[in-house]
Amino acid sequence: MTAIELAPEHKIGLTLSNPVMPAAGCFGLGMEYGRLIEVEAIGAIVVGPVTAAPRQGAAPPRTLSIPGGVLLHTGLANPGVTAVVRRYGRALAHCTAPVIVHVAGTSPDEAASCCQRLAGIEAIAGIELGLPDTPGGLDRVESGSGLSDFLNDAVAIIQAARVAASQPLIVRLPMVYADLLCEAAVESGADALTVAAPPRGTAWHEPTRQFITGRLYGPFVLPLALRILHRVAKLVPVPLIGCGGIHSAEDSQAFLRAGAVAVQVGGAIWHDPACLIHIACDLAPEASSD
Amino acid sequence: MVQTDALVTDVEESGPFVRVSLAAPDLHPALAPGRFVLADLGGYLRKPLFPASLETPSPGDGEFDVLVLPSHPAAALQPGARVDLIGPLGQGFRIPETTRRLLLVASMAHLPALLPLTNQEPGLSTALLLSVATATELYPVQMLPPALEVHIVAADGSIGHRGSILDLFPDLARWADCACISAEPAIYPALAGIVREVRIGSTHHFAQALIAPPMVCGVGACYGCAVPVTGGIKRACTDGPVFDLLELR
Repeated sequence: MTAIELAPEHKIGLTLSNPVMPAAGCFGLGMEYGRLIEVEAIGAIVVGPVTAAPRQGAAPPRTLSIPGGVLLHTGLANPGVTAVVRRYGRALAHCTAPVIVHVAGTSPDEAASCCQRLAGIEAIAGIELGLPDTPGGLDRVESGSGLSDFLNDAVAIIQAARVAASQPLIVRLPMVYADLLCEAAVESGADALTVAAPPRGTAWHEPTRQFITGRLYGPFVLPLALRILHRVAKLVPVPLIGCGGIHSAEDSQAFLRAGAVAVQVGGAIWHDPACLIHIACDLAPEASSD
Repeated sequence: MVQTDALVTDVEESGPFVRVSLAAPDLHPALAPGRFVLADLGGYLRKPLFPASLETPSPGDGEFDVLVLPSHPAAALQPGARVDLIGPLGQGFRIPETTRRLLLVASMAHLPALLPLTNQEPGLSTALLLSVATATELYPVQMLPPALEVHIVAADGSIGHRGSILDLFPDLARWADCACISAEPAIYPALAGIVREVRIGSTHHFAQALIAPPMVCGVGACYGCAVPVTGGIKRACTDGPVFDLLELR
């Protein structure tokens, strides 16, 4: 299979032997799946999200089964970037696939702090930067004037990460605003883009009689992500990573045909950890023939 | 932890439950009471299954039973079917070797996870405090080991003591030197309050309680099965699903 370069303009680069990797938020900190997934068979692993300080995350309930998928609201639960490096650094250094750390860019300071902590660590091959979906709240965005502020905030986060990170920088775009942000993200220093973060939704949780808002996972996300990838592919020249609702090699092929050079598999891993390997193996002839 | 294809060897009614016998040689040796497997039963999320029996009729068969309510998707399985399982997962019940009087506390729907603990070990006296809504939904007590001391409470008084678990729990908690609980989590704070009251000075790890919110990945990767505990939040799938009762919040 032909190697895939995710950061051709970066001094180090980020080369994958295979276009398949797990999506951030679905693979833990890299060790959880243990022997269930042989990582040498996939292109990279994406661990995190991580934040500068430890986060307990959202109060339960966090999980709601919805038709065809699941709604999940974790509130960025993680032990913090320093603990991740301390506890998992050695193990990640022995990982046979490139390790990409997903940094939750909740603010420019947070993004810079995390990227500084990860800078220069050889075991970390790349940084994937997550952006807030709607900084300042949806009201601010819907007011019209708030949209430009939102985009400016996102650009500031990307720029802060770019300055602090020594590794290639992948920016994961929010699904709703991916096409609005993609060009600014590239101009701000993104080496590659992940299109896109799981969309958010709201559902009623009957046992606690409350609405839960969280990220949506399931095959139904695929057409949404594919549509936005089509649009982004026409706007920017950098490598794109397709992400959203992928559950099979056929799903992955759709993203590759739409302009992605690699794909991230998300919630499908929870249902069937082996699918990551199956997709990578099934995709091999397709990837090499394209 | 493995991902394996289990064979459904038998399916039969068992009181209010359906007993599903599974053969999974790769999995069985590490299964223990309170630990679980995640089963692919057709939905997007896998379903946790807790072993209700760990007896192996023929060594090497790797056979274990699960008991599920008739509405559970596992109840629709047929003998000869294959089920994809991930496991064993989580931290199960830990009975100290010094235990001589073991108390099991369950509501009817949550009883199966405790059934492996009803097997009598030499030198161990075991009592089961079981709550049911009404007599007709009671698990057939004749299927339990004869030496097991069974205390039944029914909300409607149709069998045993009329009332709730909380009525009989204090005396049994004084008697026991270890308690394993599997019930509706809503009752756990009240049980914890009783433990603090009757077990002064020896409460740490005296009572262990099973709590199983929906589990997405089962391995601690998704952070979806949060359980509030003293000092923060833990994951049911890896830190639990069995917790120190007094740790739960």
